[in-house]
Amino acid sequence: MNSLRTSHQTAQTTARVQPQQVFELDHLTVNFPARKGVVPSPLQSLNLKIEAGRITTILGRSGCGKSTLLRALGGFVKADDTGGVVYKQRFMDGPTPEIVMIFQENNLFPWLTVEGNVKFGLRFRRDDTRDKAQAVREILKSVGLTDAATQYPHELSGGMKQRTAIARALITRPRVLLLDEPFSALDISLKRHMHTLIRELQEDTGTSMVMVTHDVEEAIAVGDRVLVMGGDPAGMLIDENTTDPAMRDRYSSDYLELQKRVESVMY
Amino acid sequence: MKPIDWEKAGPWIVGTLFFSLIIVLWEAAGRNDLAVTTVMPPPSEFLSMVVESGFRVGLGSQAASLDEAILATFGRVFAGMALAFIAALITGMLIGLSRYVTWCISPVLYVLAPIAPIAWIPLAIVVFGINNGTAIFIVFMGVYFILTIGTLAEIRRVPEEYLTVSGNLGASKWQSWVWVIFPSILPGVFTLLRTNFIAAWMAVLVAEMVGLRDGLGAIIMMGRNLFNNELIMFGMLVIGVSGFLVDRILAFIGKRILWWRV
Repeated sequence: MNSLRTSHQTAQTTARVQPQQVFELDHLTVNFPARKGVVPSPLQSLNLKIEAGRITTILGRSGCGKSTLLRALGGFVKADDTGGVVYKQRFMDGPTPEIVMIFQENNLFPWLTVEGNVKFGLRFRRDDTRDKAQAVREILKSVGLTDAATQYPHELSGGMKQRTAIARALITRPRVLLLDEPFSALDISLKRHMHTLIRELQEDTGTSMVMVTHDVEEAIAVGDRVLVMGGDPAGMLIDENTTDPAMRDRYSSDYLELQKRVESVMY
Repeated sequence: MKPIDWEKAGPWIVGTLFFSLIIVLWEAAGRNDLAVTTVMPPPSEFLSMVVESGFRVGLGSQAASLDEAILATFGRVFAGMALAFIAALITGMLIGLSRYVTWCISPVLYVLAPIAPIAWIPLAIVVFGINNGTAIFIVFMGVYFILTIGTLAEIRRVPEEYLTVSGNLGASKWQSWVWVIFPSILPGVFTLLRTNFIAAWMAVLVAEMVGLRDGLGAIIMMGRNLFNNELIMFGMLVIGVSGFLVDRILAFIGKRILWWRV
């Protein structure tokens, strides 16, 4: 029933979306098909704008709909016809190679080496004229995996696996990188290392990133904007700009104050 | 001299010693004329019989050399297994790509799967004649259904993330099949092939006993017809050892070439 998305509606949306936004959620409603009817998700008529060229982190309890939201941004779940995710001035109707997703696990193909996994990112890009071997070398260097190029995923630590997945995503030069709790399986020191790395990579490439996490520290440390999602239907309980460098210092009063506020809403 | 790595060499040493012990006991029973050795002549007797006949088995113009018999059986079993392996992957792929194919093929698969491969022999002889075609067909029927059902289970096990990743990186449905699903399921289906090798091996031997006149199965049948227990024992030994070697080769391929698990 795409007819509901009239040209009038698209035109209106075009006028509303500012160039610095990468996504606009316009009355996004997601319901999952079931044997009889549908199972509603917490996402019911949600409105939200997500800026381009920044890292937006979304916090929330399990089942609050944050992962569904991320999947909707990637075009992996179908929104109801009453609204949707506006990307490039149009309602999204499926995944696009410009938006790449990274998961908590099962990102890497076990039969390929680190190099092979990263090169896989370019396998289906006929229009990419770069020297593939050179591109792979460069991206592996940027995530610090040059020495691990010939290793297989089962020989890697959790952090190295996720760095490989990030490298494979970034080699395609995506406009948007979606991260679904990518560091939850890592220990605290590795996590912090990955936070720094992901911020550096974002600054170098200018890629828009949206990361979903349930880790408050991670959300504040990585994000330029922290959203706390909750309620049914879901809404944003906290929407905080965290671009201030003080937010990168986990002992600063601003950081601690935000952490306290977030935790009081979440737990 | 390096000390022996017991973890590695242990199974081989103990296994060989135990096997040798069985042979020694068997020989000793033969030398002491135990009643059972008239139907189970000891290795020294049937091996010397085979050596004396210049490794040729059978009578007159029908006699075939041993290596021909082994090659014939191996050729049939490998051809049948390879065809079943490829056919199972193709069937799995078709079922995975289209639900209409699933609706058509699934009932047929589950109706045909329980039919023992031996039951196909009369039909196969009429269709293919008494030749390799029949034996290969019987092996094929012995493993194809199990492999196909296994392939479908393996496809269901492929992590959803893999397909999201490949689709995300621009792969079409067909490309995802070739570059992601196929390598994901290959080791699992191959392991199934290895465990079903015994079924294939039995199927070809029965086909050779019942229908064909050459191959290892035919040696047993010839021994029976000639009341030649040495020949029967020799045939059984060759069948056992060949089966063991093939299993080792398949295990090696599974471990060294198709080593990954999803």
